[in-house]
Amino acid sequence: MKSVLTALALTTVLGAAVPALAADAEVGKQAPAFTLKDEAGKEHSLEQYKGKLVVLEWTNPGCPFVQRHYKATTMSNTLKGFDANKVVWLAIDSTASNTPDKSAAWKKEKGFSYPVLQDPEGKVGHAYGAKTTPHMYVIDEKGVLRYAGAIDDDPRGKSDKAAVNHVKTTVDALLGGKAVPASTTEPYGCSVKYKS
Amino acid sequence: MKCHRSSRWGGVLLGLLLSAVAWAEVPSSAVAQGAPDEGNMRVEAALLVDASQVKPGDAFRVGVRFKMDPGWHIYWKNPGDAGLSTDVSWDTPGVTVGELRWPFPSTFRTSDGFIVTHGYKEEVLLFAEARASEQASGSLTLSAAVDALVCEVECIPAQMVLTRELPVGAQTVSDAAATASFDASQAKVPRTPEAAGLDVALALDVQSLKTGQPFTGRVTVSARNGQVPPGVETDFFVSERIPGIARMALTHEASGRFGLKGEAAPDVPEKEPRFKGVLRLGTAQAGYQALEVDLPLAAVEGAPVAAPVAKASPAAPVAGAPGSATVAAPVVPASSLSLGLAVLFAFLGGAILNLMPCVFPVLALKAYGFTRLAQEDRGRVGRHALAYTGGIVGSMLVLAVVVLAVRAGGTSVGWGFQFQEPLFVAAVCAVLVAFALNLFGVFHVGLDGTALAGKVDASHGVMRSVGEGVLAVVLATPCSAPLMGTAVGFAFAAGPATVLVIFTALGLGLALPFCVLVMVPGLSRRLPKPGAWMERAKQLLGFALLGTAVWLVWVVGGLAGVDGMARLLAFLVAVALGAWLYGLAQAAEGRRRWVNVALALAVLAGTGGMALRFDASAATARVSTVSAQPWDEAAVTAALQAGQPVFIDFTADWCLTCKFNERTVLSREDVRATFARHNVAFFVADWTRRDARISAQLAAHGRAGVPMYLVINPSAPDRPEVLPELLTADLVVQAVERASGLRADAT
Repeated sequence: MKSVLTALALTTVLGAAVPALAADAEVGKQAPAFTLKDEAGKEHSLEQYKGKLVVLEWTNPGCPFVQRHYKATTMSNTLKGFDANKVVWLAIDSTASNTPDKSAAWKKEKGFSYPVLQDPEGKVGHAYGAKTTPHMYVIDEKGVLRYAGAIDDDPRGKSDKAAVNHVKTTVDALLGGKAVPASTTEPYGCSVKYKS
Repeated sequence: MKCHRSSRWGGVLLGLLLSAVAWAEVPSSAVAQGAPDEGNMRVEAALLVDASQVKPGDAFRVGVRFKMDPGWHIYWKNPGDAGLSTDVSWDTPGVTVGELRWPFPSTFRTSDGFIVTHGYKEEVLLFAEARASEQASGSLTLSAAVDALVCEVECIPAQMVLTRELPVGAQTVSDAAATASFDASQAKVPRTPEAAGLDVALALDVQSLKTGQPFTGRVTVSARNGQVPPGVETDFFVSERIPGIARMALTHEASGRFGLKGEAAPDVPEKEPRFKGVLRLGTAQAGYQALEVDLPLAAVEGAPVAAPVAKASPAAPVAGAPGSATVAAPVVPASSLSLGLAVLFAFLGGAILNLMPCVFPVLALKAYGFTRLAQEDRGRVGRHALAYTGGIVGSMLVLAVVVLAVRAGGTSVGWGFQFQEPLFVAAVCAVLVAFALNLFGVFHVGLDGTALAGKVDASHGVMRSVGEGVLAVVLATPCSAPLMGTAVGFAFAAGPATVLVIFTALGLGLALPFCVLVMVPGLSRRLPKPGAWMERAKQLLGFALLGTAVWLVWVVGGLAGVDGMARLLAFLVAVALGAWLYGLAQAAEGRRRWVNVALALAVLAGTGGMALRFDASAATARVSTVSAQPWDEAAVTAALQAGQPVFIDFTADWCLTCKFNERTVLSREDVRATFARHNVAFFVADWTRRDARISAQLAAHGRAGVPMYLVINPSAPDRPEVLPELLTADLVVQAVERASGLRADAT
């Protein structure tokens, strides 16, 4: 829509081509840029992963929903199913009271490989509108946000049938050049404990 | 987080005493505690029945009562942004149990309002209607598996299984204490409008919803006989989770009248979404009337196509279809203006626009223009007047068409919206610089390079008049003149024909003073004679245009940061270079001339492509001239509830009238002292970049652009006072005093 508006406003003056301008995290638009340090102090920016699919996972080790998924190794298993050359997984902790040491200890205890980015100020969390832990986002090779929502369709973790993993569904669709079946779902979990 | 030790033991003791009294009848198997928090159980659940004995085939009520520790809560059926709905699964052989009934929920917010959830604190009884089978005998076993998430700041899951026996007998014997609890809970459960003797109607402003796009409408509640409960309290509407709808909220406009704002989700849902939620009318003092609302909304479409064929709406679950809830066709918002009055306002507003600071450079140019015109014969003068008017009205109509096109696409726009787009601002800037260089004599308008500066021939004089008309409109748009705001607000909410008529009236008003000066013979003769001074005056006006360009460069800085400013300036230098090359071409002959023109175009195209890449994420945060907080509906509500008068400044960097008011009135010492004395919460709603929430607020007060100033009295939060577009210190001080209840004079 924005481009239509711009184009219309501009054809009256210039008739120039229009670049898209990112404002907020919205599916179908450019995902907000960020640069954050991980638990080991290494910097990661969204920009550096252009050309790959990026999965963002808002996390908080103190949240029962996160604990349930880490007990079931949901996140690691999901990542294992992807081509490591094409998909990057970044956990982000926007908990105000979190420290890199806490993240490092938790990473060691759970034995997963991806970085835990430190966002104690909550800036990136707010830019993405992350509300719950877990809250999942999938960004495509061009930096466009393609999915925002829950990890799966089983909030209580006791559904009789196997849960549908929305992140897996989205990534598989994107890698296969197909349409994303559901680009938003209702996220579930604890609220993100932002700095107040 | 944790209770103090001393009070904790007191609480446990008190709890034990209380439960000994209140739960005397409840068997221990029917009570369980959950959500262990370092030895504290944060929730206690009990299975209650409103009968101590039941006759086969009779109905009774069964429910789970939750008691939470202070500060802890469980969730409603739509938990909101986070959390998990409370789940009760029944296992009741020989008994059929109906839908769970949910009392009207409380709404919880984090301090910044970013995360909003719905649920219950302290105590709640979730219950259902049940019926014993005709074959029941002996005793019935009732079991409930409860799965709840209990949260304060941290969240603790609670899973409990509650069981009790219900004897079967010849008569149903009701349990008085339990019945009282069930009745109290039932009174808080939203009813269907039919059951409450009310009609709820929904009117959308659109035929169909577009994925990812906002939509608006109105909800009206009317009583079949008697009265709609007056007033509402905060958080009076809670939407259910609706596939296809990202968010939906109601604002209270008047008794029984609500504005609806929502946004469709980015995907097309499987079935047509419905407007589902609970709505609580009335207040704690006057009594509540909670309604369960379930109405057809509209189809969601992935792309703009023709209006959908109305489908038969599926039967509403739970409460039965709301009987006579009617869905009106899309309606035009009720406005206190008639079309005629709106046209008059637009015309007058357009005339006043000439006096606004943003139109100054053009007005100066025109002043220069008719010193030149005054010497020409009347026929020519008429042509110029027509050309100028045509330029103005033509660009107004272009603007109107753009507005209509954008609105048809589902984006809300307002007056001056094009200044929210850095590329547009850059284009205007380039035009201004080129115009200034033209006045400096760097190049001439028109291909006739032999024309001498100062001796203007009629044809390109007319073209220039048209161009000046266009420029007047382009520069005028960031200003909202008094009266005009009202008229344009009316236009933006009306149909296409009205938009065109209003914009035409606006253009005629803008052209009026100049036309009057030119057409009235006595007036033009009073103007000074043209001469060498005119050349100098023209050059001086060039500097006025450059001044305007500086302001626009600053606007771009706000939209796209320091880098954006630098890029724009680089581009402007290229524009100047291009203009200079073009000027050389005009003076040259033959092949050299075309080489120069080609060079000029190459310079422009090359730098334009490279320089004009603006990145909105680099936008510079601005320090306001007044100590203020960014506008946010939740924060405003909080301030009003704390008894603070609220002042909201709807502004934008590209709005000169706004900046003028802020610098000359709102940041004056005495005005600020008044704000401080009355403990006014001062909010700034910055519309520099597109913001649908702010556009909606402007529209709600019949405006389509900034400035707008709202003053809200905490004792009448739903009746804000709208101040005029041009402020004076007295006006602001008096409005603030009225809002603090110190002045009784009503407006």
